[in-house]
Amino acid sequence: MEATERLGKVIDNIEKVIIGKREIAELSLVALLSHGHVLLEDVPGVGKTMLVRALAKSVGADFKRIQFTPDLLPSDVVGVSIYNPKDMQFHFRPGPIMGNIVLADEINRTSPKTQSALLEAMEEASVTTDGVTMQIPKPFFVMATQNPIEYEGTYPLPEAQLDRFLLRVKMGYPTREEEIEVLTRSQPIPPIEELESVLTLEELLKLQEEVRTIRVDDTIRTYIVELATQTRRDPYVYLGVSPRGSIALMKAAQAYAMLKGRNYVTPDDIQYLAKFVFGHRIMLRSEARYDGITAEELTERIIAKTRVPVQRLVNQ
Amino acid sequence: MTSIRKNKVFMGLLYILVFLLLSEWLRPVIELTETGHHGLFLVFVALGLIMAFFDIPWWVTAPLKLIYILWFIVYVYTGNLFFTAESLAFVMEQASVSLSALFTQDWQQTTDAFRTVLFFALLWMAIYLIHYWVSFRLSIFLFYLLTVIFIAVLDTFSPYSGDAAIVRIMVIGLLLAGLLHLARWMEHHAASAKTEKLLVFSIPLLMLLVASTALAFYLPKAEPIWPDPVPYITSYSGQGGVGQGGVGRIGYGVDDSQLGGSFVSDDTTVFRAEVEEGQYWKVEVKDVYTTKGWELSEEDAQQQLYQNGDEVATDFPPAGDERSSALVDMQLSFPFVLYPYGTASFLMEETLDYRYDPIQQRFDTLQENAAFEPDVYEVFYSEPSFSLTALRETDVAELADLPPEYDRYLQLPDELPERVGELAEEIATGSDTVYGQAQAVERYFGTNGFEYSQSDIAVPAEEQDYVDQFLFETQRGYCDNFSTSMVVLLRSLDIPARWVKGFNEGEVIDTVDGYDVYEVTNNNAHSWVEAYMPGVGWMMFEPTIGFTGASSIDFDLEIDTSEPEEEEMPDRPDPEPEAQPEQPDSGTGADAEPTTGEQFLAFVSEQAGKLIAATIALLLLALALFKIRKKWMPKVLIPYYRRKEADAETFEKAYLRLLKQLELYGIKRAPGQTLRSYAQYVDSFFGTKEMTELTAAYEKSVYGGDAQSVDWPKLKESWENLINRTSG
Repeated sequence: MEATERLGKVIDNIEKVIIGKREIAELSLVALLSHGHVLLEDVPGVGKTMLVRALAKSVGADFKRIQFTPDLLPSDVVGVSIYNPKDMQFHFRPGPIMGNIVLADEINRTSPKTQSALLEAMEEASVTTDGVTMQIPKPFFVMATQNPIEYEGTYPLPEAQLDRFLLRVKMGYPTREEEIEVLTRSQPIPPIEELESVLTLEELLKLQEEVRTIRVDDTIRTYIVELATQTRRDPYVYLGVSPRGSIALMKAAQAYAMLKGRNYVTPDDIQYLAKFVFGHRIMLRSEARYDGITAEELTERIIAKTRVPVQRLVNQ
Repeated sequence: MTSIRKNKVFMGLLYILVFLLLSEWLRPVIELTETGHHGLFLVFVALGLIMAFFDIPWWVTAPLKLIYILWFIVYVYTGNLFFTAESLAFVMEQASVSLSALFTQDWQQTTDAFRTVLFFALLWMAIYLIHYWVSFRLSIFLFYLLTVIFIAVLDTFSPYSGDAAIVRIMVIGLLLAGLLHLARWMEHHAASAKTEKLLVFSIPLLMLLVASTALAFYLPKAEPIWPDPVPYITSYSGQGGVGQGGVGRIGYGVDDSQLGGSFVSDDTTVFRAEVEEGQYWKVEVKDVYTTKGWELSEEDAQQQLYQNGDEVATDFPPAGDERSSALVDMQLSFPFVLYPYGTASFLMEETLDYRYDPIQQRFDTLQENAAFEPDVYEVFYSEPSFSLTALRETDVAELADLPPEYDRYLQLPDELPERVGELAEEIATGSDTVYGQAQAVERYFGTNGFEYSQSDIAVPAEEQDYVDQFLFETQRGYCDNFSTSMVVLLRSLDIPARWVKGFNEGEVIDTVDGYDVYEVTNNNAHSWVEAYMPGVGWMMFEPTIGFTGASSIDFDLEIDTSEPEEEEMPDRPDPEPEAQPEQPDSGTGADAEPTTGEQFLAFVSEQAGKLIAATIALLLLALALFKIRKKWMPKVLIPYYRRKEADAETFEKAYLRLLKQLELYGIKRAPGQTLRSYAQYVDSFFGTKEMTELTAAYEKSVYGGDAQSVDWPKLKESWENLINRTSG
């Protein structure tokens, strides 16, 4: 499959820069292909920025970065209209959000007002200032990062807004060998500078269209809904996965199937992606925290006990 | 979380229940073997259980138990309450005697004390086993079941009455089983075993048990559906056989006081007879009907002694002077001779006395006043014939004037239900002669839905009358039912009648010099009726449907012969010359031709035993096949799927079948495991790549909706290979 080969190239490209994080690269691509956004949760310095830059460069996209601080204002994100005395008109100066691939760094450090401006832009793929709505250029992909260690002076994202992210991914430290390799590679010139694009934006847009045609069988749909229902029923769960979560899982699975060179989704795709899709959409009760159970673990438990559909549905 | 096993209150309760259950075993054993000191045995059981409960180490419990056993022997056999020098000497002596007896394998020589020790050892073992079941397995069902079976068997086959015991066992056992189930459940769910929590669960259990027991206790209970199996089993095992002086349940067994119940055919040859014509062989008669069976009123009335060749006097004098002779070759030994109607004299090589008792009407053979069992003898006889004219003149009024010696043949038990007499009247209505009435009764059975059968025959209950049960409830039986009923009906009509036992003619096996050789087996044991016709004498009747015995009638009427012949011939509704009398079907050809449905039902009910056995056998076979299906399924599946059309549908079915086979083989797929990861596991297990290959194709077909991509003919080989592996 041609699409798979190209996507494979993108991932290989990213891997040149980010060592040993193929999974993260794949997931980012999955989100990019299915018009979603990624919430990266990890400590600083593990290569989050590098990942996004590599991705942007690989697809020849416009890369923007917003460093969130407590005093950042919504207009700092979406842009501002400036009065030009020459023509006595207000001219809109687009903010950093108006890019193809945006890195929103430490999103939980800014005030809820600014957060919601970003999240609104993510949801609508457009910004509105002074009554004028402006489309954000396509493709539009936000990778927000969040530092789970520092809670002092942060504004945790509300659950409803977390729902806007297609996937929540944890990066993790590289292994010993990988880290040595990272050091070796960055010695002469940082590899990111030499990275060339392997996919044009037009091709990417076409692939985004193509993803929608990946077949999702009835059995798979039933399976997704069954998993989502299970999260709502679990005694540990305060708030389960919303129907938007089910849709997200299906879309992500379609993109993932394409990445794997299939034109149909299998239960394996669902099982693999469920913890990234459901993880931030489940609100646990305090009992779960006492028992040391995370949302990811809970998702795995539900997967383990939910019957995988192996037979064609007959009456549907 | 404490384990339930550590809850002493709960476990203590279990041990008390176990003690009660064990004492239920002990009670019948002690009672039946007439062993004393029931209490002391119970103390031993209690001691063993208490020590097991407190987990006392074996090196304490074993000596303690041994000392107790020793003390028991000393106390019981010497009367000493304590160990004295004398009592210890007794123990030593017992031990040496028993041991030497043991080594010389002289089992009779072992002493009672030694057997007591063995019994204690058995109890010890039982205690240990139960302790193991309760404390470690938390399961008592097997023991519980065995207890129920044990008590049921004892109740059935021994004098021990388990009526109350079985209720106690049910209650104790259910409670025990319920609590153990609770214990297992709590352990399985790692529930905390606090006493309050246990109470929450066990109180409903207790209530349920009490409620169900009370309900079972107070509800009316149906009578047993099956007849008492004991006579059936004893007759089957041959204990009711001829050697003991009785032919099962239908012949002339010494004891006919409890009739009823099924019996099993037994084709042991009783004797062979060379005769001109087949006939019934009489042994004896009985006169007292007891509502359950027959007894003899006086055993030795004025007995007559005859020698070889003497003309004997029976109630059936030989007709004319011409004598037929029959050579009887006994295969089984009896201390009497069998004789045909109209017997004149006997002849035997040995010198002996024939003692004839006119009440019992049996010819006992005696040699020097000791019972003698003849081997071969000849009997001379001439079958009596009855004048139809005389029979037609038998006046019912004459019955009232019979001399008192006939009273014994009119005896009827007081408990006889009135409806029997009413039925007799009803049958007799329309017949004005004694003979006519007797014939009406004789024919009654053939036309009123009675059925001949040897199996599944009821035994009357405590307060039930044998005849009443047959006439009004079961209408199903063999010769004893028919003959006894006819006697009772005749007696209800004031016609003197008695019950005769003997054999029917048997089967022709050979012909020698114009004589037929009949072989008579235990199956030919039979009973029939003799009734007194005023002015004519005693006459035999055969009420049992399907049997051909009859008195010979002299058709001396002066009217047209054809009509009376039809009417008067005391023939059977369905006379079959070669009828195997013991075959149940021969009696069913009554007047109304049964419909196919009825025939089917009759067949089913007659063959019920066989049908049930066959069904059980089939079910067992099916179960066995089901159990080992993983072995043979591939052999069926491969050719089956080979023949099927090579399309995606077949492939999918075959793949699912393979999944099932793999499951049977023992490679289980967890519910949340995807086919691909399962396939990888299967392949790593077998060291193959085929499962992954098949799974990829299957996924493409099912999830990808791309059935056309399946190349079943190509995949078939992989599939067969895997299927074959699962049968290993």
